[in-house]
Amino acid sequence: MSNNHTTTEENKRPHRIEGPKKHVIAFVFSLVLTMIAFAAVMGGEINKDFIYIILIGTAILQVFVQMAFWMHMKDRGHQYAIIGILAGVVVAFTCVIMAQYWVWW
Amino acid sequence: MSHVHTVKRHTGLMDWLTTVDHKKIGILYLIAGGFFFLVGGLEALLIRVQLWKPLNDFIDAGTFNELITMHGTTMIFLAAMPMLFALMNAVIPLQIGARDVAFPFLNALGFWTFLFGGVLLNVSWFTGGAPDAGWTSYVPLAGTTYSADRGVDYYVMGLQIAGIGTLIGGINFLATIINMRAPGMTFMRMPMFTWAAFITSALILFAFPALTVGLVALMFDRIFSANFFNPAAGGNMVLWEHIFWIFGHPEVYILIMPAFGIISEVVSTFSRKRLFGYSSMVFATMLIGFLGFMVWAHHMFTTGLGPIANSLFSIATMLIAIPTGIKIFNWVFTMWGGSIRFTTANLFAIGFIPTFVMGGVTGVMLAAAPADFQYHDTYFVVAHFHYVIVGGLILGIFAGLHYWWPKMFGRMLNEKIGIWTFWTFIIGFHLTFFVQHFLGLIGMQRRVFTYLDGVGFNEMNLISTIGAFLMGVGTILFLINTIGSLFRPMDAKDDPWEDGRTLEWTIPSPPPEYNFKQTPLVRGYDALWKEKMDGHKGMTPAEPIGPIHMPSPSLLPFLMSLGLFIGGFGFMYAGEWGKIGALNTGYTIGALGVIMTLGCMVARSVKDDPGFHIEEHELDDKGGKA
Amino acid sequence: MSAHTHVEGQLPHEPEKATLEGRNKILGFWLFLGGETVLFGTLFSVYLALRGQVLDGPTPNELFSLPLTALATLILLTSSLTSVFAIHAMHKLDNKALIKWLIITVVLGIAFLVLEIYEFSHYLHLGHGFTTSAFSSAFYTLVGFHGAHVALGIVWISLIIRQLMKQGLNTVNAPKVYVAGMYWHFIDVVWVFIFTVVYLMGKVV
Repeated sequence: MSNNHTTTEENKRPHRIEGPKKHVIAFVFSLVLTMIAFAAVMGGEINKDFIYIILIGTAILQVFVQMAFWMHMKDRGHQYAIIGILAGVVVAFTCVIMAQYWVWW
Repeated sequence: MSHVHTVKRHTGLMDWLTTVDHKKIGILYLIAGGFFFLVGGLEALLIRVQLWKPLNDFIDAGTFNELITMHGTTMIFLAAMPMLFALMNAVIPLQIGARDVAFPFLNALGFWTFLFGGVLLNVSWFTGGAPDAGWTSYVPLAGTTYSADRGVDYYVMGLQIAGIGTLIGGINFLATIINMRAPGMTFMRMPMFTWAAFITSALILFAFPALTVGLVALMFDRIFSANFFNPAAGGNMVLWEHIFWIFGHPEVYILIMPAFGIISEVVSTFSRKRLFGYSSMVFATMLIGFLGFMVWAHHMFTTGLGPIANSLFSIATMLIAIPTGIKIFNWVFTMWGGSIRFTTANLFAIGFIPTFVMGGVTGVMLAAAPADFQYHDTYFVVAHFHYVIVGGLILGIFAGLHYWWPKMFGRMLNEKIGIWTFWTFIIGFHLTFFVQHFLGLIGMQRRVFTYLDGVGFNEMNLISTIGAFLMGVGTILFLINTIGSLFRPMDAKDDPWEDGRTLEWTIPSPPPEYNFKQTPLVRGYDALWKEKMDGHKGMTPAEPIGPIHMPSPSLLPFLMSLGLFIGGFGFMYAGEWGKIGALNTGYTIGALGVIMTLGCMVARSVKDDPGFHIEEHELDDKGGKA
Repeated sequence: MSAHTHVEGQLPHEPEKATLEGRNKILGFWLFLGGETVLFGTLFSVYLALRGQVLDGPTPNELFSLPLTALATLILLTSSLTSVFAIHAMHKLDNKALIKWLIITVVLGIAFLVLEIYEFSHYLHLGHGFTTSAFSSAFYTLVGFHGAHVALGIVWISLIIRQLMKQGLNTVNAPKVYVAGMYWHFIDVVWVFIFTVVYLMGKVV
């Protein structure tokens, strides 16, 4: 990993971590969240509902970490990206609600 | 530093097959969509002829089912949407001061996939049976048990291919409107038609993938023996309805929103008055788009979702009436106190307003879930949706075509024929569909190929059929007007209506290949009108004159779509075409088609297209060829 | 339309955003990903609706092996990280490093696919075929679609690697690299939901 950078406006924000360091941190985060999810299932005696909450929670968190850091969604100039993905998520979420509650046997 | 690339220009047929110019693609969409409108209209006339009297035997039951399926599918997917895309392609880049859309190559691809999908769908008439499970293709009717012939396969394949085109178009317009507006054109200075196209494109982007999944699942069930909708293997039939209508309801908003945009433009221009309540119009459009995704189960009130679900969807559906009402009032207030010119375009726009309101209020009636248990599957529903689609969308398209014809083709349409077109069509329309409300209320079911004598249906069905023929007359008059205009010289002015308010009226009719010699500087909403009111003759340019970079034409979109077309046939007939050696013929042909498409994609990726430049000395103010 | 930026000497710092065409491509691809979110969302909801319908076939709990899933996840997650390194190399205008990281990404992607093909063939032996039940149809369609996306991504990135080797990095192929990187991250994001909803939830009895 390098620590040199061509001089740009980024230097005006001194607290930002340079280089791919924050991407590697995001990777480690994702790994940890994944391990938590797997551990919850393999662990054994945890209440079923609680497991579901952990699984969904870690998944959403991991997606957020990946999209914010690896896909730069927390950076400037990404309003349309955020709107686009958010709108897609809203519609996708609607489909999931549909499938869970309104398709019955 | 500029490069000199050899200019690869085609003429004649090759020009049209390889074009990536949004104006030409718009004309292609218009011709293809217009053609399919005639096909769908013929199907409608045949339906009405069969129904004009009780126990008629003009068409047998099986063919009748094919006719109603194809009429609906063709009109929605192959006529209405392409004609809307025609207007969007022709006008949006001009309205925002851009030289083309964001992805010209994809624009062409969108057209050719639509065309080949539509052709595939209609080939079914000649190969032993069109799809006959309704345009909604519900399972189990659409499954292999009850639809054993190839009809529904054509539906599934044709719509998947055509759907790709629509999705591409949606992404294209979104990116174009976001990224390529002229300097000074903020979002709140965009014309209403552009706003409407923007929201419509967002609806397309989020609705069509759901349809794709549904069609893929149905295709897998039919062709590969999957079990999505097969209850014996654990599948679920209501799931199809959910998936279809999660797409299907936004789809009808996709149909009507551009028409709303057209009405805003036409009413404002021919009242010589700024659109009333622009901000609320924008907000209302966004709200309608969003709510459109939350109401799909109002098509499923009778499937047993339960009172809580039914109530929620009822309320959500009725809520949409509010922003729609805002729009209606805004159009009326725009006209109030304006200096109104009754051109044909404006006649259609003014005719739209009460007609669409009638369709809207029957929609609110249908939204009441308990009442819907009585209306469901009767002609009341048929009346409602024809009022909003034909009385809304089609009148809007007529308005838009009359309004923008001079810009697209360089000639004015004949106003006299236009007035006759309007009156025959709108009287015919009301004759056809008004009585259908009452037919539904006294109990006539929909999708029935005949009815008994003596139950009170006879007179109204006869009136309805007469009305349908009158609409046919109106359509023929329109054809005479439009085709006839092409034999006249191209003498339309830049601003033929002389009251143009938006940027498309600042350039020649038809525009040159590059649209704007210099990108204009926008200083307010109704950009051209603002300059006129400030005493200027035209727009201030935002850049100096310089060489203009244009995208190269390409045959690849045509070839890619052809590959999908061939592939579709191969997969559909895999069970019937035997084997060549060890290989299944159908699957082989299917694979070859897909490989052709993928190969074109690779070719496109690997060989970069640098485009070409139009040099300064080649720029002139006379319009190019249409 | 703006001209291509063929500047002699130094490329701009973010070469993918230097041209209008590049910015259009990136925006267009974000929009496409929004549509893909709905596509996979619908596939997920179909799977959720049908996952209990196993008929006589093996149940999710009997089928899935968590170690295998964990390995596949690790491979795909790492390949997403290497694609990040690739973009970083591109922003430092280092074509060699860019190509190196893209190659590693592709290799990891191929490893993931090989694992998945092995997994599917194993399931076939266990009596879990495409036509076995509603659950199996939904499973293979959802996970298979994801796998097809991975395969397409592998071919796509390989073509880009070849073009980078032949032409070097410029403002025409920089947007392609960026967009391919976005695609690759997206299929990793989809995989997060697949291993959660399909495999992990399948093992919760």
